[in-house]
Amino acid sequence: MLVQFFIPHRSFIFAYENVLDWMQIIYVFTLLVGVANYIKINSKKVSTKIKGWGYNLVALSGLLVMVILGFAQGTGEDTPFLWMFNHIQAPMQATMFSLLAFFVASAAYRGFRARSKEATILLLTAAVVMLGRVPIGNMIHSSIPDLANWILNFPSMAARRGILIGIGLGTISTSLRIILGIERTYLGRE
Amino acid sequence: MRIDRRIIFVLIAFSVAIPLIFKIGLPNRVTKEVRMVYDAIDELEREEVVLVSFDHEASSLPEIKPMADAILRHCFSKDLKVISFALLAEGTAIGDQILRDIAAEYEKRYGEDYVYLGFRPQYTAAILGLGEDLHRVFPEDYRGISTSELPLTKKIKNYNDISLVISIADGDLPSYWINYAEARYHQRLAIAVTAVMATTYYPYLSSGQIKGLVGGLKGAAEYEILIGKPGMGGKGMDAQSIAHLVILFLVALGNVSYFLGRRNNSKGTG
Repeated sequence: MLVQFFIPHRSFIFAYENVLDWMQIIYVFTLLVGVANYIKINSKKVSTKIKGWGYNLVALSGLLVMVILGFAQGTGEDTPFLWMFNHIQAPMQATMFSLLAFFVASAAYRGFRARSKEATILLLTAAVVMLGRVPIGNMIHSSIPDLANWILNFPSMAARRGILIGIGLGTISTSLRIILGIERTYLGRE
Repeated sequence: MRIDRRIIFVLIAFSVAIPLIFKIGLPNRVTKEVRMVYDAIDELEREEVVLVSFDHEASSLPEIKPMADAILRHCFSKDLKVISFALLAEGTAIGDQILRDIAAEYEKRYGEDYVYLGFRPQYTAAILGLGEDLHRVFPEDYRGISTSELPLTKKIKNYNDISLVISIADGDLPSYWINYAEARYHQRLAIAVTAVMATTYYPYLSSGQIKGLVGGLKGAAEYEILIGKPGMGGKGMDAQSIAHLVILFLVALGNVSYFLGRRNNSKGTG
């Protein structure tokens, strides 16, 4: 992968393209491992009837129904598989995600307190960004969106850049440690 | 003062539902990063190829769909050719549906004006593979037709034939597009991400590695203004505005009761 970047000879490109193909093939097999694990864990809970086993049964049934529908009539346009996806899976997942709004509101009321100087700064910043990112902020005062954009484009981005540079340096140093054999904990060694 | 959490839930439910049912029409302001995406598409010539990647799951559909709709409307109104696929399995059916619906609005023909390639696992390999040979990564489209036979895809070899890539995502997949398509192949890239992910990509915007950023419902609403076609983005922003106000009101209320409680406690101990 690395060599072909610097030596664009056709033999290296050929090897590179094959590696890319193999990456996809291996990934598909890892999906199979995931499905097998999912079936194993849920089946065990259903067979031992531990608390909440009904949910595991529903999970297993969902998997089974989608697999049967997919293999029996395909996954394309106007198929039962697509209907199930569009009308059951997608709305259910969107609903789960939407519930966050309710819990965020409840948690904000209970936990977002100006207990210290730092917490007060955080609270005020959050309030400005929350107002500045919605049209009503502009209606309250035209400078609120500008202030929110300034927070996002300068203090927030500076912190984000620092994190990204830290991650980059950490990745390089860890990779070097693995390549040079210094880091062996991933093999279960000290 | 303690408010029962069920009252908070009801307040939030109403603050979201009422603006969605009765349109308020709060005025939106177009931000620079959204205009950059608009300009990146608008400056393309007729028949240039845009690649739209649906890199999201079903859970973020309410936020993703308005962005995808607006961007695709712009592409088709400009008579650009659109190639699309999904790098996350759940985005596959959603991407196909959105693309078909918007293409039908503009009476675009499948195979000539747009093509949907379906899902490809292992996004790193897929993104890198597209830099070498699209037909190797996608020998067939979503319908099982050979990409070497479809009029649109048969003339496309790799990123050299694609004018702009747009990643519509709800996670960190745009980072992979930046690392592998932009950095490795110098592919022009724009992204449309959920609001919670938008701040992650601001550094890439200022470094010029992405040509623009559409962030969440707000971004979708702004894009709808730019293309002159109101949609769910604008309606969603009304709901989001009221919900944000309610949350801020609750936070303020929580703090007032906290300080009152603290004052009473200190009086009691004094």
